[in-house]
Amino acid sequence: MASVFCGLSGGVDSALACALLVEQGYDVTAVYMRNWSQDLPGFRCPWADDLADAERVAVTLGIDLEVWDCEREYRATVVDYLVDAYARGLTPNPDVMCNQTIKFGTFLDRALERGADLIATGHYGRVRRGPDGRARLLRALDEHKDQTYFLWRVGERALERTLLPVGEVKSKARVREMCAERGLGVEAKPDSDGVCFIGPVGMRSFLLDSLERRAGDIVEWESGRVLGRHDGAFLFTVGQRKGLDLGGGPARYVVSTDTEKNVVYVTSDRSCPALWTREIALADMRWVSGEDPGAGRYLVRTRHTGALREAELDGETLRFDEPVRTVAPGQSAVIYDGTRCLGGGIVSRSGHAPF
Amino acid sequence: MTGREVYLDYAAATPVDPEVAAAMAPYLAERFWNPSAPYSRAREVRDDVERARGSIARALGARPDCLTFTAGATEANNLAFAAVEGHVVVDAIEHESVLACAATHARRTVRVGTDGLVDPAVVARAIRPETELVSVELANGEIGCVQPVREIARAVAAERARRLEAGERTPIYLHSDASQAAGALSVNVSSLGVDMLTLSAAKLYGPKQVGVLWASEDVRLRPLVYGGGQEGGVRSGTENVAGIVGMARALELAIERRASESAHLTALRERLRSRILGLVPWAHVSGPSNPKRRLPGLLSVSFAGIEARRLVIALEREGVFVGTGSACAASRMRVSHVLEAIGMPRELAEGSLRLTLGRPTTEEDVDHAAEAICRAVRAEATRLRLDDASQAARVAALMGSWR
Repeated sequence: MASVFCGLSGGVDSALACALLVEQGYDVTAVYMRNWSQDLPGFRCPWADDLADAERVAVTLGIDLEVWDCEREYRATVVDYLVDAYARGLTPNPDVMCNQTIKFGTFLDRALERGADLIATGHYGRVRRGPDGRARLLRALDEHKDQTYFLWRVGERALERTLLPVGEVKSKARVREMCAERGLGVEAKPDSDGVCFIGPVGMRSFLLDSLERRAGDIVEWESGRVLGRHDGAFLFTVGQRKGLDLGGGPARYVVSTDTEKNVVYVTSDRSCPALWTREIALADMRWVSGEDPGAGRYLVRTRHTGALREAELDGETLRFDEPVRTVAPGQSAVIYDGTRCLGGGIVSRSGHAPF
Repeated sequence: MTGREVYLDYAAATPVDPEVAAAMAPYLAERFWNPSAPYSRAREVRDDVERARGSIARALGARPDCLTFTAGATEANNLAFAAVEGHVVVDAIEHESVLACAATHARRTVRVGTDGLVDPAVVARAIRPETELVSVELANGEIGCVQPVREIARAVAAERARRLEAGERTPIYLHSDASQAAGALSVNVSSLGVDMLTLSAAKLYGPKQVGVLWASEDVRLRPLVYGGGQEGGVRSGTENVAGIVGMARALELAIERRASESAHLTALRERLRSRILGLVPWAHVSGPSNPKRRLPGLLSVSFAGIEARRLVIALEREGVFVGTGSACAASRMRVSHVLEAIGMPRELAEGSLRLTLGRPTTEEDVDHAAEAICRAVRAEATRLRLDDASQAARVAALMGSWR
């Protein structure tokens, strides 16, 4: 009986993952990874409640639950990266970093050290062997829930050892039903949304805990007219509408930010050319297989569960057939061949925005 | 599953007694007036608050004007510590609210024995010339030991006498948190010899968020909540009339029933203990061996190598609700500070359940709970491949290593 260490967060997906593995005959050890236990002002991190739910699942399934403290690694690789990137005017994806360095990094390594044959998580994605016998990452059966957008930096070496049982279930609704059928007691829990450790407190309060406010101008992109003041360009991201506090008038969208000059550029025109782009430059590219698939036409996704669009990849540049919404620098562009996730890159800039 | 639900966590919360609820009900709607308002209706309500204060004062053998109503025992404890600025002495198994208050002072935390008892001689040695407050609870809510508060009062009185003779003017007071004790033990302040005493309605089949601090007239309390000057200026805010009336009724009932209830709870606790030990011989029961030093309704029982948190979940499925040590400690995911302070080995501490019986508990409840607990323990032991013989040997070894 192969030994599997399965991440168990207290949520619906990982609970079902553990249950399915037990049913498939694996020797399952559930692991609650405590990545963040610090309370932010005005919001208590619910980790203790999540752990209680995880324990309920483990007891129901009759499997061991271990609590692993990953706070140090998480702070060093995810939290600090997040704050640092925002300070530089980027809009990073902490989940991408967390998957790469924590769940398919620290967790995998520690599990293997402990004698695990395999690891598993509740992610919506599928691992399949290709004709060459090598592990490939495919989108989940439920396309609406697919999480490969957050998994593109997980390499083949990790995938070789990974099971993603929930990615094989046809819908989230079915996942909840299956949890209920097994009496796991978590089926009614809401989907977690946003960065787990920031939760409902919002990115703004989180960043203001680490970074200083700095007053600056909100400038109309078309006219260069100063429309108002903001309290730190790093707090704003491309496409953002809320939080501009311009005292009425038409809805305005952030077109770009300049953290060096501390300026936020906005527009009231949704078809403003700066909000759209045909070309995205990538950096820090990474391929699941470790091998660059080369120039060519691929499907590309620039936000979680966003549309898959056709694009031409040429070196580190993506050219879309149709204009797409500008993507904030720091976000991921994930590249697919059919249902297979090949890898991707971090957006360094989008075509039109003024730099 | 039988459908029976057994609640064994009365040290965490008690249901409001129907008589208490009936006493409170008029003050929620028809008698809603603000006690500080000038018209006669409001004055009646004010009189009702004072009657309640008088009733509680009688229970304590104290003067009514020495009572301050608070929003619960935690606030009362905070108020007691705010009365002094200097050095304080506490024991290591006090409630979190006392330990947290002590942490804001220069302090000495005295150790307790493996049974949780504070040695009055150790307290006497810990008192320094500049010590202003000693705080020792009357009974511990986690392992149920009843502290020798009278003897500690003697040590404090001796120090007070010494300072008087020496012409030293630093005052010294003894405070006791009697929240967990008031249902079972006398809380007469002069026979206890304390200068301040905390009571909570929430542990006495009264409402939550109502407590009282009694302080002798020698103590000058300093307000933590400022405002309209209610409670003699010590605790501002419109009086929680329903809560105060409820607390008075709850304490009256507790005193009326104290003797019979203590006997009832002691019998049930012994029944629970012998059932559990009969079914799981390697279970370990903590607390003082002297029955006079134990709270009647509390049983602290540990199962070596078994995770108490898993037991709680398994028991919940059988309709049995138990505690695993103090709630605050549990949510912070570590062995409770009480079990740590009595030196309990971790393997035992992590497998500790706190079972607390209450007024409505029956023999059938106890039998049902004991069987459910032992079933859950056996299921976990089987899963972990632990057999009785090796467990008995393990517990013997752990007991040997304990201090």
